[in-house]
Amino acid sequence: MIGFVIVSHSATLANAAVDLAMQMIHGEPPPVRIASGADSGFGTDAAAIADAIDALAGEADGVVVVTDLGSAVLSSELAIDLRSSTVPVRISEGPFVEGITAGLVRAATGGDLDDVVAEVDTALAAKRRNVPDADPGADTDTDTDTDPGAGEADGDREVRVPVGSDESHGAEDANGKEPAVSARATLRNPMGLHSRPAALVVKAVGAFDADVTVANATTGAGPASAASMVALLALGATEGDVLVIRAMGADAADAVETVRQLVIDGFGEAEPRA
Amino acid sequence: MADAVTLGVLERWVRDSAARLDAEAERLTALDSAIGDADHGTNMHRGFTAIVGKLDAAPPQTLAEFFKTVGMTLVSKVGGASGSLYGTLFLDMGKNAPEGTSMSAAEWSRVLAAGVAGVVGRGHAEPGDKTMIDAFTPAVAALDDAVAHGASLADAAAAAATAAEQGSAATEPLVARKGRASYLGERSAGHLDPGSVSTALLLRAFADAVAEERG
Repeated sequence: MIGFVIVSHSATLANAAVDLAMQMIHGEPPPVRIASGADSGFGTDAAAIADAIDALAGEADGVVVVTDLGSAVLSSELAIDLRSSTVPVRISEGPFVEGITAGLVRAATGGDLDDVVAEVDTALAAKRRNVPDADPGADTDTDTDTDPGAGEADGDREVRVPVGSDESHGAEDANGKEPAVSARATLRNPMGLHSRPAALVVKAVGAFDADVTVANATTGAGPASAASMVALLALGATEGDVLVIRAMGADAADAVETVRQLVIDGFGEAEPRA
Repeated sequence: MADAVTLGVLERWVRDSAARLDAEAERLTALDSAIGDADHGTNMHRGFTAIVGKLDAAPPQTLAEFFKTVGMTLVSKVGGASGSLYGTLFLDMGKNAPEGTSMSAAEWSRVLAAGVAGVVGRGHAEPGDKTMIDAFTPAVAALDDAVAHGASLADAAAAAATAAEQGSAATEPLVARKGRASYLGERSAGHLDPGSVSTALLLRAFADAVAEERG
């Protein structure tokens, strides 16, 4: 499993961020070491970071370093020069709280070093998607977003598509080459696909030999990799939105059905179906 | 006056630096409170005080050992970017130091340049970014130039210190592009960069140590 070294100017901050992230872990957690403070004050200590990396070397297949403010990166780079072990180490550019959370979830489901680093690096995407457009003159009736990649899913509820029934069926992939399995399911739990349900989806698909994606048919967002909590959160899917779950691979049908079941069960958060 | 950079010169240098940082800690911290997090003076003083303790406990026997001891102590005790950057300076000087207990002015010039190159590689700062590099870069150039023209070690070290002081003074109007001061943007102009001030202090202390050490 991939391990983490959390580098922070503050031990309090680092411990709280790790505690928060651990709320999302259901099962064996990835190994985590904290390197925080310098000489018992605020700061970062490259020697302590190097020790933390070396301490993980025996139990981790790779180490992701997640940092807080600027000089934490400098100290981490120096630590990689100073360490004595040879375990692969990468410093992530991702945000501290979101990155630790998304990275731990990905690592707990068996992601390799590239997977986990990518997850931490892109952990701001979900928040970006959820923060309303800051343009004070924005008209909610028309799409004034100048970013061609971000326009469709910014909370504009006028683009709803007809809501289909919750059923699954086999289908050809869009390019017609590989058979894909897909299903539609409507989100029932009040908070939608927030972090806890997203973590459940990531964990569920990790058990299958299948590449699974989830798209938000209601807003047009996605498809997002179901192995990525961040990508799932970026769908901005809320109660009543219709998700399209799609998979390819040996276990595609089982993977799709498992995710569909999670959705229609409301991830255990919804009122029982009448 | 020493005509070679001996272990004696180097020890005198860091001990004098610790004393100067003690005297200047308040001023450095005041500079840092204008554009940073108000801890550069206390951090540097803490680091160099710790180095003095290490030298007292176990005097280094070689140039390489001296630089490594200083570098690792700064890394662990200073904290923040200046700990990693000054730590890298001394660690990289140690990697490039000649064997033994003494080096010539030309070797010192090369070793300091290697240390500064390490700092640039670590911090990615360029001249004009309002960092310690604005003091180090002209100092390395002045040192190299003096040595190339046959100057004595004392004169070359003094030229380097003067160049560092001028480089530091020139940071005042600059807008910071690196480190926490860069969060201030235009508001960072009008203040000296604290890191460049401590660099100038260290290089002046070195020049004085060369002038004062017998050998």
